Amino acid sequence: MDKVKKGGGIVVLFFKEKKKNGQIISKKTPSSVVEEHSKNKISSSLDETVHFMKGIFGDSNDFVIKHFEVFGQFHAAMFYFSDLTDQTVINNDILKPLMYIPNHLLQRKIVLNDLKDVLINETLYHSQAKLDDCLDRLVDFVLRGETVIAIEGIAEGIHIGTRKLEKRAVNQPETEQVIMGPREGFIENIATNLALLRYRLPTPDFCVKKMEIGRLTKSKVAICYIKGIADNKVINEVEKRLSEIDIDVIMDAGYLEQFIEDNPFSPFPQVHSTERPDKAVANLAEGRVAILVDGSPFALMVPVVFSQFYQTVEDYSTRFLMGSFVRLSRMLALVFSLIFPSLYVSFISFNPELLPTEFAVAVAGGRAGIPFPAVVEVLAMEIAMEVLREATVRLPKQVGGALSIVGVLVIGEAAVNAGLASPITVVVIALTTIGSFATPAYVAAFALRMLRFSIIVLAGIFGLYGVVIGVIFIFNHMLSLKSFGVPYMAPVSPENYQGMKDVVIRSPLWWMPKRPTFLHQENVARLREKRNKALEHNKIGNDQREEGTSGGPKRNHNSSSDDNLN
Amino acid sequence: MSQNKYRAKRIFLLICLLPLLTGCWDSREIEQRATVLAIGIDKAGPGAEEREAEVSHEKGDISIPEENMIEITVQIAIPGRIPLGPQVGAGEKKPVLVVHVVGHTIEDAIYNLQQEIADEIFLGHLRLIVLSEEVAKEGVKRFNDYLRRNPEIRRTASMVVSKEKASKYMEASPELERVPSLYLAEMVDSLVDLGKFPESFIGKFWSIFSSEGQDGYLPYFHIKGKKTIQINGLAYFHGDKMVGKTNPQEIGSFMAGIGAEKGGYPIFTDIPGNKKEIALVQAVKRKTRIKASLKNGKPHVLVKVRYEAKVSEKESPNVKIKKEEDIRALERGFSNAGQRSLSDLIAKTQKAKSDIFGFGEYFRAQFPEYWKQNVETEEGWGNIYENLSYDVEVDTYIRHSGMKDK
Amino acid sequence: MEDLREITTLQATTILISTIIGVGVLPLPLFAVRAGETGAPLVTLFGIGIAAIGLFIITKLGIRHPSKTIITYSEEILGKWLGKVCSIFVIIFFTILTALAAREFGTVVTTSVLIETPLDVTVIVMLVLAAISARNNINVFAYIHNFYVPIILAPVLIVVAVSLKNANILYLRPLIGSDFKEMFFGALTVAALFQGSFIMTLIIPAMKQPKKAMKASIWAILISGGLYLLLVIATVAVFGTEEIKQLFWPTLELARTTSLPGNILQRLDIVFLSVWVTAVFTTIFASYYLTIYSIKQFFRLQDHKMLSYFILPFVYILAMLPEDIFQMYEIIRYVGRIGLSITILYPLFLLILDVLKSKRRKHSESKQV
Repeated sequence: MDKVKKGGGIVVLFFKEKKKNGQIISKKTPSSVVEEHSKNKISSSLDETVHFMKGIFGDSNDFVIKHFEVFGQFHAAMFYFSDLTDQTVINNDILKPLMYIPNHLLQRKIVLNDLKDVLINETLYHSQAKLDDCLDRLVDFVLRGETVIAIEGIAEGIHIGTRKLEKRAVNQPETEQVIMGPREGFIENIATNLALLRYRLPTPDFCVKKMEIGRLTKSKVAICYIKGIADNKVINEVEKRLSEIDIDVIMDAGYLEQFIEDNPFSPFPQVHSTERPDKAVANLAEGRVAILVDGSPFALMVPVVFSQFYQTVEDYSTRFLMGSFVRLSRMLALVFSLIFPSLYVSFISFNPELLPTEFAVAVAGGRAGIPFPAVVEVLAMEIAMEVLREATVRLPKQVGGALSIVGVLVIGEAAVNAGLASPITVVVIALTTIGSFATPAYVAAFALRMLRFSIIVLAGIFGLYGVVIGVIFIFNHMLSLKSFGVPYMAPVSPENYQGMKDVVIRSPLWWMPKRPTFLHQENVARLREKRNKALEHNKIGNDQREEGTSGGPKRNHNSSSDDNLN
Repeated sequence: MSQNKYRAKRIFLLICLLPLLTGCWDSREIEQRATVLAIGIDKAGPGAEEREAEVSHEKGDISIPEENMIEITVQIAIPGRIPLGPQVGAGEKKPVLVVHVVGHTIEDAIYNLQQEIADEIFLGHLRLIVLSEEVAKEGVKRFNDYLRRNPEIRRTASMVVSKEKASKYMEASPELERVPSLYLAEMVDSLVDLGKFPESFIGKFWSIFSSEGQDGYLPYFHIKGKKTIQINGLAYFHGDKMVGKTNPQEIGSFMAGIGAEKGGYPIFTDIPGNKKEIALVQAVKRKTRIKASLKNGKPHVLVKVRYEAKVSEKESPNVKIKKEEDIRALERGFSNAGQRSLSDLIAKTQKAKSDIFGFGEYFRAQFPEYWKQNVETEEGWGNIYENLSYDVEVDTYIRHSGMKDK
Repeated sequence: MEDLREITTLQATTILISTIIGVGVLPLPLFAVRAGETGAPLVTLFGIGIAAIGLFIITKLGIRHPSKTIITYSEEILGKWLGKVCSIFVIIFFTILTALAAREFGTVVTTSVLIETPLDVTVIVMLVLAAISARNNINVFAYIHNFYVPIILAPVLIVVAVSLKNANILYLRPLIGSDFKEMFFGALTVAALFQGSFIMTLIIPAMKQPKKAMKASIWAILISGGLYLLLVIATVAVFGTEEIKQLFWPTLELARTTSLPGNILQRLDIVFLSVWVTAVFTTIFASYYLTIYSIKQFFRLQDHKMLSYFILPFVYILAMLPEDIFQMYEIIRYVGRIGLSITILYPLFLLILDVLKSKRRKHSESKQV
């Protein structure tokens, strides 16, 4: 009781001060006031509490203080933001039982000392009703949409989760669409996102650590990992790097990414962000750590390796031949988008002897009359293409389509006719642009798009030699990158046999019984021995199936596993 | 650490930008190059000295090479005349420019040519070099140096010897291809595919020319009528000088001698029992084994050829090929003809001391002691080759006689 | 960071392979043919043998001192001052080797592809690339080599395979082309091309299992030696010895003589050269790294990063010293021969001393017991 009094005293003192020299005090922001009282407890006097809350939130018109009588005997007040809370819950589940004595309590005599227990345990129809006595925390609860109830004579507040937010439905993610595979995407609400993860990972090993980052936004950040698979060093490193961030606002996961990446000057992304819960879960199961931020539909995954950026979930959900083929073509597109224009420049300006004679002569014909060297021509076209792309990204869909037609067809055609660009250049630029769209990760594609320009310049100076030098430089940079202690080019160099099965081609799932060890997992078994036996039909083919139909036990086994699935 | 990397990047950027200030040395746009597609080399006519531009030397300069002056004719692709993509009706104007220049050497002539042409001469697409017989007989060594030294010239370009002046080939306009010299080059390439001539690109010619135990050979061309060009035989060399040519039929024998696998030449073969009736039997595949040996210190070669052939035509309806014996007889006839023809060819080249079969290589490889003692120089092998004793054995196997019975 | 022992046996192998295969690929057949005529493959084989012995000595030494490089253990074996003096020679030698490789590279590029580009520029670009990459730690060094090995091996194998249709087996005979003295000297020249394998002394202290270094060495010498041998056989079989003597870079000519079936690319030589740039880069990178790392250890510095730029001007000036291609190859031959005493005889000497010392130590220990 002593403590409560003290706290109350200070509150009183504070308001007295305010009266004395209000001008100076009023410059204090409400948050600094809260900070000053961060260790103080709530007072048992309702008036004091109401006064304090008014002082903090008084300027906001959507803040509501509602006075009422609990069971008709005890004075109480309720604090909430009207727009943040669910009014029906407040009316039906809070006000109603509080004001109207429930049947089972009619016979009881309720004294003040028992009141809070009675309220929490027997009266309120709400699972998230809790007691708290810290002022600053109560303020925080109000800010987060909970309803805080203070009762005269009780030095504790009840806070009840009444938050109601309009949130987007779980939709198909815009940035990572698939033809075959789950259609869910993360949304802005972290609770929903965590729910999406938990739904796919019903295991006690799946851990979520929460923290708050951002002085103003106080964004909830969740570090998710699977215990026993993720490397403890990585988890600790993630926590360390995140806890060192001191910034006012975190609007998106991208803010965090910039603080935790290893080499901020590298054009290559060192954190993988995804909108897809299934992708996040697959990564968690490989031993990565996912970071979710409230307010962002993107989950960040660390550590990453480069090969992730051209893999999609679809590679794994389709049959392996198809997945491998698609992946190969994607890699080809990646290479295209990086060096195709520079190869063109060096062929045209340096080594026409590499082209077939017929074609070389014809290309020379196509270029005759164009005033610029090939480098300038290609650079100009590339820049035009970048501008066009940027322009279409921001436009509404209907206009964007029209613009791209104008940009691509009309300008391209006109440039050729006007003798500004040769038709082959247009083809090359088009192929390059298409190639850069084929990379599933937008950020990785962007890195290559940027680097493409420097390689074009090098090609303009040294021809093929310049291209090779540029590519070597890029590869060396990539090889020297590390993401949370994992080398960026990991399964390739440093070599990792298990990982290599999933780099160029996507090996059949039963070929990859172990997780790639470059992530330093504690537990690498993906397939268990028993499960592998179920795949024996791969080796024997139809023979076994025929046997299976004649002999019963194998079929029985199958049907039992079906039962398990159901 | 990150700051260091940043600095490294800045330095790299600076270094990247520095060359921009100085320009792009080797960059030359494809349309600014005078792409030479073919070169014809002739002996310059009288009065060539007068026509020559004084680029590499002044008249009466002492350091002029002693060899005769040459006239080269080049075919340069004109950008724009050869349209991109399949366009119709583009054959109105000639797509190539033909220029004649004279000079003491090829390089000299090329310099003279550059004097006349604005764009830089580009030899990267040189696919064909035509030597006139006259020039070839005087020796090709003088050209080899330039062609080897220049990195632009491809080793896979073809070199041919022409019966007429080489300049005629540059001006000829065969209608099968838009670019005349490309037609010629493709003709040489397809000769190999059709089994009409062994691989004979310049690189190969040089290797053979350099080797001590073999003499070079090149295809020999002849213009037929106005529009078509015919492969008229094989020009064989002794050292760097052309010493003779064969007829087209003998190319087949030659290919048998060197063991070129693909056969392309037919031989008229007597049908046994009907003296006047003949059938055309074409070689499809050959397998050649050459055995070199020393008989009493004298070199001797045994050439064993095994043909796989097919009956491709039989003229008269009166005779029939239907029994196995008929085929066997045809095989025998073909073998005899092949044996005779190959023996004749060896004898012919022996007279010219030109070992185009490379028998010398066998002796060099298998009897190094003998080689060291008796053959010091290439001339030496030529003399020995002249008196080389040889045996030719030909064996034929006719696999099929076509779709027709009888 | 560098004390982490992370380099695997495979990485050690690939480092050796990509270090060995470098500029030498181009003139190798010429060296071999000059010395051995048709016996060129045999000369190459001898050369590989000599190089293998040298590499085994270095590896053996490294295994005996699994946490030290030659710079540090030489002081232990020879005594501080003598060791330092020898280390200076090693450092100077590898500086020169780096410079010569860069120069040879520049010469090839400026004579065959970039004819009008100044030699200085091509050399500087290559050196800068090496210098920037050499700032990384030894693990990244290993990753880089590991990554490029397939890119280095593939084009050579493709060119050899495609060119075989023009081969003439007769050119390879007789197997012994000239007298043994010439062949021996030729073998020394060939062995000098393997001097990059000295990098092993740097790798062993960073290897996960230094005991497996010998395995890495054997594989590396088998693969790189096999490739060299294959290359010599192919060039001799295609060109014949007489033609090779007329060419500076027979391997490049081999690429020029072959075109891919189907006319996809009309000339392989420029593509071959471009990929060969990678091979040269890894070689220069390795010897550059060896140089600065040795200097770092020599002066017992903490960091080798700034050294990387500091050395650059010296290497560049050294690279520009030869006046023309003939002088350059003269110097390369000369330096190569001298280098053999540094890369083979000196380690051999060290090894013998080391073995004797440890025997004596054991002897005295057993006496004491």
